[in-house]
Amino acid sequence: MKKSAWHLSNQSAQVWMRRALRGCFQVPCVFLALATSVYLPSVQAQTPVVAKPASAYSSGVVYDWYFLALQLIQQTPGFSPPVASRALGYMGLTLYEAVVPGMPGYQSLAGQLNELSSLPWAQPDEPLHWPTVANASLATMTRMMFSNATAENKARIDLLERSLPLKYTQDFDPNVVTPEITNRSETFGKLMGMAIMTWARTDGGHEAWGPIRRSRANYVPPSGTGKWSATPPAFAPPLLPYWGENRPFVMKTAADCPAPPPPEYSEETNSAFYKDGLEVYKISTAATQEQRQFALYWADDAGKTPTPAGHWVYIANDILKARKANLATAAETFARLNIAMSDAFVAAWYTKYKLNVVRPVTYGQVVIDSNWVPSLIPTPPFPDYPSGHSVQSAAASMVLDRTFGADTAFTDNAHNDRGWGPRTFKNFKTAADEAAISRLYAGIHYRFAIEGGKPQGQCVAAKVLALKFKP
Amino acid sequence: MLKNTSLFLASMLALHSAEAADPPIAPIPAIPRFVEETDIAGFQSRFEGQDEYMVGGGVATFDCDNDGLAEIYVTGGVNKAKFYRNRSARGGPIKLLEERSGLELTNATGAYPLDIDGDGNADLVVLRVGEVEVFRGLGACKFERANAKWNIPNNNDWHTAFSATWEKGQNWPTLAFGTYYDRSKPDFPWGTCTPSILLRPDVSGKKFAAPEFLKPGYCALSMLFTDWNRSGEQSLRVSNDREYYKDGQEQLWRVSPGQPAAQYNETDGWKRLQIWGMGIASHDVDGDGYPEVFLTSMADNKFQKLEGGASKPTFIDQAYKRGITAHRPYVGGDIHPSTAWHAQFSDLNNDGMTDLFVVKGNVSTMPDFATLDPNNLLLQQADGRFAEVGQQAGVASFRRGRGGMLADLNGDGLLDMLVVNRWDRAQLWRNLGAGTPDKPQAMGHWLQLRLKQNSGNRDAVGAWVEVDMGGKITRQELTIGGGHASGHLGWMHFGLGDVKEAKVRIQWPGAGWGPWQAVQADKFYTFDKESGVIAWRAP
Repeated sequence: MKKSAWHLSNQSAQVWMRRALRGCFQVPCVFLALATSVYLPSVQAQTPVVAKPASAYSSGVVYDWYFLALQLIQQTPGFSPPVASRALGYMGLTLYEAVVPGMPGYQSLAGQLNELSSLPWAQPDEPLHWPTVANASLATMTRMMFSNATAENKARIDLLERSLPLKYTQDFDPNVVTPEITNRSETFGKLMGMAIMTWARTDGGHEAWGPIRRSRANYVPPSGTGKWSATPPAFAPPLLPYWGENRPFVMKTAADCPAPPPPEYSEETNSAFYKDGLEVYKISTAATQEQRQFALYWADDAGKTPTPAGHWVYIANDILKARKANLATAAETFARLNIAMSDAFVAAWYTKYKLNVVRPVTYGQVVIDSNWVPSLIPTPPFPDYPSGHSVQSAAASMVLDRTFGADTAFTDNAHNDRGWGPRTFKNFKTAADEAAISRLYAGIHYRFAIEGGKPQGQCVAAKVLALKFKP
Repeated sequence: MLKNTSLFLASMLALHSAEAADPPIAPIPAIPRFVEETDIAGFQSRFEGQDEYMVGGGVATFDCDNDGLAEIYVTGGVNKAKFYRNRSARGGPIKLLEERSGLELTNATGAYPLDIDGDGNADLVVLRVGEVEVFRGLGACKFERANAKWNIPNNNDWHTAFSATWEKGQNWPTLAFGTYYDRSKPDFPWGTCTPSILLRPDVSGKKFAAPEFLKPGYCALSMLFTDWNRSGEQSLRVSNDREYYKDGQEQLWRVSPGQPAAQYNETDGWKRLQIWGMGIASHDVDGDGYPEVFLTSMADNKFQKLEGGASKPTFIDQAYKRGITAHRPYVGGDIHPSTAWHAQFSDLNNDGMTDLFVVKGNVSTMPDFATLDPNNLLLQQADGRFAEVGQQAGVASFRRGRGGMLADLNGDGLLDMLVVNRWDRAQLWRNLGAGTPDKPQAMGHWLQLRLKQNSGNRDAVGAWVEVDMGGKITRQELTIGGGHASGHLGWMHFGLGDVKEAKVRIQWPGAGWGPWQAVQADKFYTFDKESGVIAWRAP
């Protein structure tokens, strides 16, 4: 059919459809759909596509993009745990904002997030195919977030974007998704990625690491009794000292979610600080096999694993896949989870560099045993309090509790490739508590840093859970 | 089952038949025809330059030899900006003659004419990458640099926007300059937007006082003093580029006499909006007495209507409702989003309804935005929606557009079109109405007016003009600024449709409405506040 004739007939039919569907409250919609197929056969080929919300599609595209992102985190220079959480946060937001026009009853988060007042919105008269939008938006954001990925990994990003429509044929049926709709959907997805990236560039995190660190002065750690100093064996400079000044997504500032004050520094043997310092020393030197396994399992080191935030993304991704979640559910889930974890790292880093609490290895050598070095894991190069694992695990588990239910048992496959899994947990809190205490077993955090991090993470999660995804 | 289905189909048919009661789609208005006369007019200018010239590319039109035809000053980026004397025959092809005028300089990105010192000669503000240059008009299209004499600050920022107003009681204008990002941080420009600058007249009334900085600045690419609530006082609307700001937004500044400029905020009713703001066009499109604003962006153009009444600067977006989202190329097959720059409301077909002209062009070679991005000509229909006719009108240029201007360059009552293109030649189209290059034909009646008052604000910037076309009233505010780096000083153009006699009244700056005065269609008039209405004839 010639374009003009088709266009006119289809246009009037779409107007009719919209009006008819508006009446869904009075007339069962299934009848409307039936009547449409009988009454307007010429529209049938186009209308089902344009009318389908994001919830009508699988979350397959999302699963694959996160699967790749977790590998990129592991293989891209500079992706320490805070940096990884930030990348995942923006990926989560981008996906949600890209498909939210296809999620009836939901709204954009623009206006609720710091310094993000508005975002482009899909044109109401332009039908979009939400899996294509999701694919394009995640591809765009992944490219920009991992701009220093290896050439091989950049090629993998390109390949994944091209291959997903072929892999998920049930979502990308070429018989119903026209090239025009595909092009338009890719365009909208990219536009959303670019709009969010322009915002991301000004959060402080974009310039805080790696090859594009420019605007910050060199950080000089404060000195004094009980203050952090570089730790053995590498005595590396402090990691991301300004990360706590980054613009969070939801907290107004990092100070909005403080951790409770740690015990006052003391070397007196009857002090709370000494007690916890001694505990680290003792457990580290006499950890059980199970405790050592926990320590290694949750270490989630940069460069070797997808980092702690990636670990929780892995868990959520598996659960969504197992439940055959739809695209809309996946978008909402990852927006909440990833934003919470990104803000949790900002809050934790703010407190770490504000208090500059000395690490157990330093305390132990100064006060208890000058030859002691934790044997399992090298102490990370930043101040102790609070434990970042504790903060972000508490935040993640609280969000997942709300998303999937507090009693959700799950299997964690994140470390299957390393021979450490699968492991099953009876609920998210159990896993989060284990992740937190694993740092004590590893000899790198005091118990008070583990316990103090939990309320901070819960505070972050509460703020994220208060976001209004629906008007 | 069959019975139920039949009943349901019947109800569906009834529903569908109800469609017949819907108002019919308004027919597309008469489409003006344009012919490109860049070459035969002798218009030869290219806007060149690398990163610091990705924005800008303005053109100014103003009459400096009092023949009623607008001269052209076109910026060239790293190339020399050029001044063209308008030597067109009335109603004929456009003829331009490049002349030395004293305005020659490089690094120019935008230009706005206005009479700063109130001597009756148009002066010119030239935006530059680096120091702004303000030129004083000497008459006979000669100019001299006036920065030192008028105390224009020697600021080495990246100047990207301009507007001017006359505050109450002042003989000299207040000038606003928008700036972009910190030129010393080209490697990481994000979050480095520099503040805009406000220059107010000093106590002598013959030069400007020390600058007032409008902080925070959010990388302004267009600004416009406009009386958004008809209070008699123009406020400064600033459109900002979200690409580079941190926690930025579109802005509206209250600029009241004797007070520091103050930004309207949420408690005032202002709603935060973040776009890649590039250009501003303002016009009372819906006839409610308040100006609506069209803001250009990257596929995210907005048409803002005041919804909060005169007491609150609360605006809603009606771009979709009006059919002017203009977010994607309409011809050429490029499916990527558009990049919009200059925007201007004017009546291109003289049917009495304002139309919208938008200049489009990729920033450079951004692969995710349209490369073939035609300029828009959107004609307003009777139902208030706009129809795209750029291709049919012959102005769907695919070059990398930036600034532009609609002005009657040959005095025939039809608005002609100028467009500046990055890394390419500027273009010029003559409006032929319904005719041909050899025989232009009017499409509707028209009226062109200039306002004059004796001292100070000689051109009555800030005035409102109403034209009564036999019961239907159209109105315009006389402003300096907006668009994208492009300004006009001269005739105000009104299309009248089939109306041959109209009535005009003026609300002079700081005053109430004057009386209605009868005018004839297809003529030029000078409305002098002191002397009254004077029919103008070409010399």
